[in-house]
Amino acid sequence: MPTKLQLHLSKVFLKIFLRDRQSIFFSLFFPIIFMTVFGFANNGEVDPIELGIVNNSASEVSTDFAQMLIDNPLFDVTLGEEPQLRTELVEGDQTMVLILPENFDAQSDGAELQLLVDAAQVQQLGLIMPLLEQTLISIEREFRNIEPMFSLAVEDVQARSQRYLDFLLPGLMAFTLMQLSIAGSGFNIVEYRRKGILKRLFVTPIKPRDFITAIVLARMVIILIQLSVLILFAVFALDVSIVGNFASFYFIIMLGTFIFLCLGFCLGSVAKTQQAVMAVGNIVIFPQIFLSGVFYPIESMPELIQPIAKILPLSFVSTAMREIANNGSSLLAITPSLIGIAVWFFIAFILATRLFVWKEVAN
Amino acid sequence: MPIIEVKNLAKKYPLPDNKSESFYAVDGISLSIEAGEIFGILGPNGAGKTTTLEMLEGLNDIDGGTAFIDGIDVAAEPYKVKEIIGVQLQANEYFDNVTLNELLTLFAALYEREVDTKDLLSKVNLSDKAQAKPDHLSGGQKQRFSIACALVNSPKVLFLDEPTTGLDPQAKHNLWDLVRELNNAGMTIVLTTHNMEEAESLCERIAIMDHGKLIAEDTPQNLILKHAPEPPKAPLHGNIEDVFLALTGHGLRD
Repeated sequence: MPTKLQLHLSKVFLKIFLRDRQSIFFSLFFPIIFMTVFGFANNGEVDPIELGIVNNSASEVSTDFAQMLIDNPLFDVTLGEEPQLRTELVEGDQTMVLILPENFDAQSDGAELQLLVDAAQVQQLGLIMPLLEQTLISIEREFRNIEPMFSLAVEDVQARSQRYLDFLLPGLMAFTLMQLSIAGSGFNIVEYRRKGILKRLFVTPIKPRDFITAIVLARMVIILIQLSVLILFAVFALDVSIVGNFASFYFIIMLGTFIFLCLGFCLGSVAKTQQAVMAVGNIVIFPQIFLSGVFYPIESMPELIQPIAKILPLSFVSTAMREIANNGSSLLAITPSLIGIAVWFFIAFILATRLFVWKEVAN
Repeated sequence: MPIIEVKNLAKKYPLPDNKSESFYAVDGISLSIEAGEIFGILGPNGAGKTTTLEMLEGLNDIDGGTAFIDGIDVAAEPYKVKEIIGVQLQANEYFDNVTLNELLTLFAALYEREVDTKDLLSKVNLSDKAQAKPDHLSGGQKQRFSIACALVNSPKVLFLDEPTTGLDPQAKHNLWDLVRELNNAGMTIVLTTHNMEEAESLCERIAIMDHGKLIAEDTPQNLILKHAPEPPKAPLHGNIEDVFLALTGHGLRD
C-alpha cells in the first residue's frame, strides 16, 4: 500500500500533470479516430449483394422469380439489359449478373441460368455462391410446392450479437493504456533528465521507490480519466456494449496501467535521450501490438509464436479485459490472466525500482 | 566549530579520449568550513569546483577521502545529509506549467514537510510572483526562486553553484544581499564563483582550486597580502640610453 508521503506526493504530481491539458486531450485523438473508423467500417450488417438480373424470358415464372430475388434482403437487385449490366459488372458496380434464359418458364426442365462474375472477386464468390444456390433452391421449392425435407436453424450460442468493434474495443483500450503509460512515464523521465529536474530532485531526500510510486499513482489517475472518456465515447457514440462488470474491468485497467507505467520507468532509466527512448519504446510496443491479440485473437497466430505471444504483458491485460467486456466473465473466471498480470505487476515494479538509480538517471 | 570537514577528497573520471585511463577531477582536497561562514570556492572552468560540491551534496560518488557535514558521513548516509542541506544547481529548469507556489509545495513534500510558501517567497523578494510560472521569470528572479526552493527544508548548509553567473549588476547585488541576509540568520553558505568581486566582498574565506587541487585557502585580505604581486618600489624611468650612459660614462670619446 502507498505510504502517506507517496500519496501526498502523488497528489502534488497529479496537479502538475493535470496542467498539461493539451497533451492529455491530444493523446485521445488517435484512439477516438481509430474507433470511429472501425465503428463505421464494420457496423455489423452484411451489405446486400449487388445483383444484376437480365430477364430474357417473358414468362410469368421468370417475372415472379426475379421479384422474389428483389424481395430478398440479401440482394440489391438491378433489372436491366445484358450489355449495360456487363459494363457495370466490369466497373465493379455489380457483384454479379444473373441471366435468365428465354426458355425459363413453368414447363422448363433444367433451364440454364447464366451467372456472370468478376474473377477479381473470387474470394467473395466463395461466400456468395452457396447463398445464391440456397435461394434458388428455396424459390424452386416454392414454385413446385415441395416441402423441404429439413431445415437448418442457426443459433448463436453466445446469444448476443457481437460486432468487430465490440471485439476490438477491449484490445484497443489495452493498447491505448500501454501507449499512454509508457509515454507517461518513460518519455517524461527522459524529458525531466534533459531539463535537469531529476538532478534537482536527487538532492532532496526522496527515495526512488517513493518517487516512482508517486509518479505512477498520479499518472494512473490521468490515464483512468482518459480511458473513461474513450469508454464513454465507445458506449454512447458507437454503441459498443460492455457486458461484464465495470468494477472488474477498471480493476484490470488499473493493474495494466501500473505495469506499463513501471515498464516505462525502466525504459526511461535505460535510455538516456529522447531518440533512444523512442527507439527502445518501439521495440517494446510494436511486437505487442501484433502479438498480444489486440486486433485479432492470439489463437489465429502461427503455433510457434503463440506460447511467446501469450506471456506478453499486453496479452494478459487485453485477454482479461476482453473476457470481461465481451463475455461478462468474473474475475474468478479469468484467474489465469490475473496470475499473469500479477507476475508482471511485481516484475515491472521491482525492475523499475532497481533500474531507477538516482546517480545513474540524474546525471 | 567546523560544520563541513573534508579530508583528501578525490574524484576519478575516465579520460574523454582514452576511456581506459583516468584522471583526477578532484585530487585530494582537504577543507574545513566553519558554521555560520560564507565560504567561496574559486577556480577556472574545469578546476573541479562543481564536482567537489556534487560530492558534498551526495550527487556524485566519493572515490577517495572523507566528507562530513554536521558530523554526518556523506558517503555512508547521503539521505541524512540531504535532509540538512539546501542546494541550488547551475541548471534551474522546472516542470512546465506549474506555479512557483506549487513548486515550493512539491519541494516541501519531497522533504515530508509543510511550508509557508508566502513567507519563503517574500524572503527571496518574489511575493508578487506566487502564481507565475518559472519560464516567465527574469534571470535574477529565477536564481532567487532556486534559492527559495533550496530553503524549504530550513537547511543548515546552503550550497550555491555559480549563483550570479549571467546576472546583470543590479540582480547580482540583490542576490548578494539575499545571501548576506540568510547568513546573518545563521546559515552556513558554500558557493562557487568566477566573479572576483563576489569572492572578495561576499565571502569570509576563499579556497582557490586549479586542476583538481586546492592551491590556496584563506580570508580575501590575507590572500591578497600573501599572493598579490608586490607593487613596484619605484616607477621605471629612463631608457636604454640612460643605462648605456651609466655603464659607459659620460666622458666624450674621440
